[in-house]
Parts: sequence; C-alpha cells; structure tokens
Amino acid sequence: MADVSAASPTSRTIVDLRNPYVAGFLAWLVPGLGHLYQGRRGKAALYAICILGLFFTGFILGEGKIVLWRWINPMQDSESFQPWYLGQFWAGIAALPALIQATLTHYGRPTMFGGFMAEPPMEVLNGLHQRGKLIEIGKIYTTIAGLLNLLAIFDAYEGPAEGGVPLPVPVRETKPGEESTVEVAQ
Amino acid sequence: MSDQIHIYWFVLPLVIAISLVYAASRHESWPMIWRHAGRLSLMILGILIGTTVALLLINTQV
Repeated sequence: MADVSAASPTSRTIVDLRNPYVAGFLAWLVPGLGHLYQGRRGKAALYAICILGLFFTGFILGEGKIVLWRWINPMQDSESFQPWYLGQFWAGIAALPALIQATLTHYGRPTMFGGFMAEPPMEVLNGLHQRGKLIEIGKIYTTIAGLLNLLAIFDAYEGPAEGGVPLPVPVRETKPGEESTVEVAQ
Repeated sequence: MSDQIHIYWFVLPLVIAISLVYAASRHESWPMIWRHAGRLSLMILGILIGTTVALLLINTQV
C-alpha cells in the first residue's frame, strides 16, 4: 500500500494509492477505474466524463471508422500506417477492439464483434477522406482522449504531481555500534 | 453537422477536457483543480484567439 500526502497551499490531503500497479492498469483499462479502486470517486468521475466523453464524441464524429490499427512496418509502408492509434490505444478498452481486429486480420482469421472497429474496405476509407474536417476532428478527439488518459494513469500510479510527498518512513531503531541511517523516499 | 455548428466550436470541449484532466493530474484538492483548470482554459483560448487574430492581420496585409 502506498500513501502519498498531497500538499497544496490551501489543503493537505492523504491519498491512499493502494496497489499503484493495479491502479495504473485499471486506469488504462477504463479511464477513472483506477481512481475508483483507490476510492478517489470525484477524480474517477472527472476522468471518465472528460476522457470517455471526448473519445466517444470523436468516435461518433468519425462515423465509427477512425479508430483502427494495422500490423504493418511504418518504415516500409508509411502510407498505410495508422499513427493515430498510438494515441487512441491509451483510452483502454474503448480502443482495444481495433487492436484485436487488426491482430485477427493479420493472422487471416475472421473479425469479431460484427466487424466493430475492424478495418473498413478501401472505398469506405476513401469516402471518409472526402467528408472533410469532422473526420479529422474525430481523429483529434479520440487521440487526445487517449493521451489525456496517460496523465490519469500516471496520477493513479503516483498520485498528484504537485506537492505529492511520500509519508515519512518509520525510522528503524539502530543497535549500538551500528550506523544510523534514515531512508528518504524520493 | 458542420453546416449547423461552426468548426471552431469543436475547440471548446477539447480545451475544457484538456484543462480539467491536466489540472486533476496535478492537484488533489478540488478548489485547486477548478482554479488551475479555469486558468489553463483561459490561457489556451487566449493563445488560440491571439494567434488567429495575428494570422488574420498578417493575411490582410499580404
């Protein structure tokens, strides 16, 4: 269990991070879930509303066809590479079907979930390019949502960035003749 | 949809979400989060509007 004392000029709050690795993983899986696990309900709601709201708004603007991944080498085929997904991935389970579908397609297996987030046919993708700015805004929204979740994951893992100082480590009693050492957590 | 809503309005939810999440990742106290998010929103919007105005002014001179 890790505790972090979040100090601010106006208040000082003790944050129980519980298991930071579990919290970080849950925060990636569903934005806000890691904070819910830590009992930080307000922050959980804020992250879930902001990140998932942004992600699904972008997803709808992009007509459900802008979150996709291809297992290709970007050095060999940069045209077909999907750099947006590198950001979208961090939105967690909301973007995970695209990775599953791409993996299935890569190994020549049929897609799952009725083709949800699977790569659409080329004519559909070309049609999207002609729709213009809303598709681009959808890509930006979903990618930024994923990148924002990185901040939330870090907050779940390590506590708030400003004024977060670990609680004092109990000083071990020293025996006679032994050097006194005080461990200070960084 | 873009016929009904001007494309620039899509910046607002993005700026608000970025400000709130960033502020929440830095503070634990809610008054600090709201204050930081408000300040950051205004700063980002100010920079965007300022840049737009500057580019428009330059554009009219060219």
